[in-house]
Amino acid sequence: MPFRRMAFSRQLFIVINSIVLASLFVLGLLPFIHLLSVSLSSNIAALSNQVKLWPVGFTFEAYRFLGQKPEFLDSLVVSLQRVVLGTAINMALVVMAAYPLSKEVERFRLRTLYVWFFAVTMFLGGGLIPTYIVVKETGIMDSIWALILPGALSVWHMVMLLNFFRSVPKDLEEAAIVDGAGQLKILARIYLPISLPAIATILLFTLVGHWNSWFDGILYMNSPSHYPLQSYLYTLVTKINIEAISTEDLGALNRLSEKTLRSAQIFLGALPIMVVYPFLQRYFIKGITVGSVKE
Amino acid sequence: MKIKSGSGLFSVLMVAALMLAACSNSNGSSSPSASGPATSASAPASESASPSAEEQPKDPLGKYPEPVTVSMVLGARTPESKDVPSGLTPDQNGYLKKLKEMTNIEVKYAWTVPYEQFNQKFKLSIASGDLPDVMWVDQVTFEQFKEQGILGDLTEAYRDYASPTIKKWMEFDGGATLNMMKSEDGKLLGLPSYSDANQSLQTVWIRADWLKNVGLEVPQTFEDLERVADAFAHNDPDQDGQQDTYGLALMKSLNFWGFDARGFFNTLGAYPYNFIPGADGKLVAGETLPETKDALSKLADWYKRGLLDKEWAFKDENKVVEDMIAGKVGMSFGEWWYPNWPLNLVKDNDPKAEWINVPLPSYNGNPGKSLVPRARLGKIVVVNKNFAHPEAAIKMANFYPEMTKKEYNDVATPANGYVYEWYEPRVSNPTEMETNYIQVNEALKTNNDGYEFENGSGALLYETAKKYANGDQASWGLTFSRASEDGGWGITRQVRDSGQIVRSGFAGPPTPTQVEKGASLLKLTDETFTKIIMGSASVDEFDKYVEDWKKLGGNDITAEVNDWYAKNPMN
Amino acid sequence: MNRTSKRMLRLKEELPFHLLLLPGVVFIAIYHYGPLAGLAMAFQKFQPIAGFFHSKWVGMKNFEYIFNLPDFSQVFWNTLEIAVLKIVFGLAVPLLLALLLNEATKSWFVRSVQTSVFLPFFLSWTILGGVLFELFSFKGPINALFAWLGVDPVLFMGDAGWFRAILVGSDVWKGMGYNMIIFLASIAGINQNLYEAAQVDGAGRWKQAIHVTLPGMAPMIILISTLSIGGILNAGFEQVLVLYNPTVYSSADVIDTFVYRLGLFDQQYSPAAAIGLFKSVISLFLVSLSYYLAYRFSKYRIF
Repeated sequence: MPFRRMAFSRQLFIVINSIVLASLFVLGLLPFIHLLSVSLSSNIAALSNQVKLWPVGFTFEAYRFLGQKPEFLDSLVVSLQRVVLGTAINMALVVMAAYPLSKEVERFRLRTLYVWFFAVTMFLGGGLIPTYIVVKETGIMDSIWALILPGALSVWHMVMLLNFFRSVPKDLEEAAIVDGAGQLKILARIYLPISLPAIATILLFTLVGHWNSWFDGILYMNSPSHYPLQSYLYTLVTKINIEAISTEDLGALNRLSEKTLRSAQIFLGALPIMVVYPFLQRYFIKGITVGSVKE
Repeated sequence: MKIKSGSGLFSVLMVAALMLAACSNSNGSSSPSASGPATSASAPASESASPSAEEQPKDPLGKYPEPVTVSMVLGARTPESKDVPSGLTPDQNGYLKKLKEMTNIEVKYAWTVPYEQFNQKFKLSIASGDLPDVMWVDQVTFEQFKEQGILGDLTEAYRDYASPTIKKWMEFDGGATLNMMKSEDGKLLGLPSYSDANQSLQTVWIRADWLKNVGLEVPQTFEDLERVADAFAHNDPDQDGQQDTYGLALMKSLNFWGFDARGFFNTLGAYPYNFIPGADGKLVAGETLPETKDALSKLADWYKRGLLDKEWAFKDENKVVEDMIAGKVGMSFGEWWYPNWPLNLVKDNDPKAEWINVPLPSYNGNPGKSLVPRARLGKIVVVNKNFAHPEAAIKMANFYPEMTKKEYNDVATPANGYVYEWYEPRVSNPTEMETNYIQVNEALKTNNDGYEFENGSGALLYETAKKYANGDQASWGLTFSRASEDGGWGITRQVRDSGQIVRSGFAGPPTPTQVEKGASLLKLTDETFTKIIMGSASVDEFDKYVEDWKKLGGNDITAEVNDWYAKNPMN
Repeated sequence: MNRTSKRMLRLKEELPFHLLLLPGVVFIAIYHYGPLAGLAMAFQKFQPIAGFFHSKWVGMKNFEYIFNLPDFSQVFWNTLEIAVLKIVFGLAVPLLLALLLNEATKSWFVRSVQTSVFLPFFLSWTILGGVLFELFSFKGPINALFAWLGVDPVLFMGDAGWFRAILVGSDVWKGMGYNMIIFLASIAGINQNLYEAAQVDGAGRWKQAIHVTLPGMAPMIILISTLSIGGILNAGFEQVLVLYNPTVYSSADVIDTFVYRLGLFDQQYSPAAAIGLFKSVISLFLVSLSYYLAYRFSKYRIF
């Protein structure tokens, strides 16, 4: 309906709604503009807190510093491996687990037992030391698998997906069973297409998770040369500490300021997502009608 | 910048030092040539790959006939130097290659991790059952290892293999720090690295250009200082026509490593967060003394009058440094190293900025006495008791100072892949700061470019100081912190020589009650002190605080600390 | 058909389900249940060197120690209050946002807002702490706004009430993109036929939102709420650590920062593990309770 022909209350709502959303848009963007500006500013400008929303003493130094390191590319490769492999495994396991658990108890008697077997782990963990020991004992330390297998199945994503699966109309499934389709076929032909928005959401979260996590890289890799990008970037951003200033570092601390480098790091961390997200968004578009799947 | 470590650089006159040390240790056991006291007790050597080891002279850097593999773990800092070949990894470090070449010791890093993550990863890998052969640990870890009985005995390895240089350094404080590394039955379990405790001495850093602008003299008394702070806050010291400055830099932790309130407290004779000898000779917690109350009421007064930043209690060190660089504050209590960071940055941002360093002012006619900790213990070399070659750890400690000799100056460069940040253990020279200061000033006065410096870092400092004298502003930080007579170390040693210091009495590991209740007490202290200063609690809260502090474990801690003190009296 | 063959048929029917679950079960068993053995730590005086096998068993001592520390009750209630506020607003705001976005029509606008709102999720609290500090500083923009409105400037970071508001507000803002996306996905999954039917019945946009969109989202809303309740003792470690200061300890010190400080003098593994276990037990209890109640009263299984 064209705007002019709407009722006044509706017009008013649309205007206010747009203003609210637009301000949230700005509010979300501002810190990133600030970070980008800091990462493009001179050391001294960043250190004296002069940079607000525009670079002061414009320089690419932070990015040049990152770019000239051969480790940068190496760790990028590790990261890409991790993202591709990890996301593929995560998605497969999430779908495989969520599907049977979305069935009613009448169809799958042990489902509730299984669900709780998984759910408990969301709230109860053994902690860092035991997990480290298990990773070591399973022989995956210092390999890319250490970054993938311990979190191979995200229970939270699985629970989310099984909830989406539940809303798939049962008549579709029954029709398929009558046609003699097996479970895998039903999953692939009916559940997945209908749950595309949910799949896209979980895919996004998984990608983001793999791309951005740095701590497990540092924990499970025995050498920085095996680090994924975010872990590697972390090694470059060192905090100033008293030991370093007063005993070791004879020279002025003329390495890059923590501030510009860290800003560049965060910006790089979010960049791929900014690229991927708009692409994924076409799967969020509403209007996937059940009818369209039937054909 | 091709600048190497200050911790253990040892450059020239090694021969002379050797001879000197050999003379001073007349018992001969330390002399490398004295192969004498190789008793049969040196079991590790006999177990080694070389049965002939026993017959060999006990050379501090002697080469094993067969390679000896040493497993280690490393918390790696990012190399300071930009010349390090790109892509170099810690196990390709030039120092390790040279060590292998010289001694046949082959270091294998089980893992390396960024420095900040070291402790966590170390504890994890230990819990998973991996204990390296040689380790470079902090005091707390050392005490735990000692208690668990997993440390190897270094007594003989130290006696027979430690180089004269290392031995000289251990003797600098009369062996006090080394003795802290001994077990109950007198076995040496670690080789400590420590530095001159006077490095923690508090002074005042003031912007001289601001002093001139507000027409005040260098403060001699606390009242002078107060006037300066007041003028810095209210009389537009930067002359930009705006009310945008405050009097004294202060960060949210009152007891930190910089920009904190230690100097302020010390000026008024207060020593909170420390145990100092009381009138009865026993140690007493500075938090509980009336001087601390007095200092808090002064700080509260300063806060009320706007001499402190309105938001000091929310600012960490980075925020305070931002204020200094941006020219919002021109005075801070602190240690000798300020010019090296962040005062150099202040000058970068505002070339007019001039900093001076002065001793703590007097109060009520008494000179301000800075606290100097009893020990300034760094890391400690220890070996796994199952390691067959404890002497290898000592050799590795000997190796680093050796590499700072003049003859290696052109070899051991970052460009050649020598990264000191990735070599451990690096036992530091406790006299380095003082020796460099004296020698550089001697050389400068005689303009003697051929001066034979004891430390490699001394030669470097001399070059830097000369560059500064020729107008290179970038060399100011290094020069003014370490070489100038009116700069950081210059003032610090002046105060040291005047004897206007107070030594803290406790240098042991955290006591049991400290581990259990220390955090709660610290919270109580920080909360009370901060509130008093901010004016949200009255100064009289202090008396109730002292009562609570004692009741909630403070008394027990004091008792434990005094037990330790009784066993480790100060000489 | 006899009983056995009926059972066989059923097993055959369910077999694919078991097989599909197998990989997930294996990984969870190894990497999540395996480490649970480490909970033993909570009942030991754990030392890394000694490991789990040689550390001393101390029974409930660690729990006694923690619960008897003078500030435990304070941090417990602080945690609870902050966490509840975060949970409530952390659900309500993204929900509202998703509904509002659903009403916006221009696709480019929706996409831009969606992306931008998700961005703060990537910021670490260290970075965000600096930004918030500037924003709420005594001479910062918010106080400038206050001055313009004729309100006296406020020392936000030193005021117990304001500080909590900042904690909750910034947390909600940082995380709202995340839940919003889930809610949007759930809206997108609603059968379009239902909207068409509602339109035929003459329902306007508002009525459609109330009678179609919200009920359609209900399972997701219930799920996320239930799981959030599991976080009732998580008030956000990094955020609090970065932002708090001694002046607001009494209202902002929480369990996680308390645990962090326990290790200040020496790492205390076992008391930390004991607190972790305590938190887990409470979470599990609350989540199971919600699950049970939902099933008991409406025959609905939350997950």
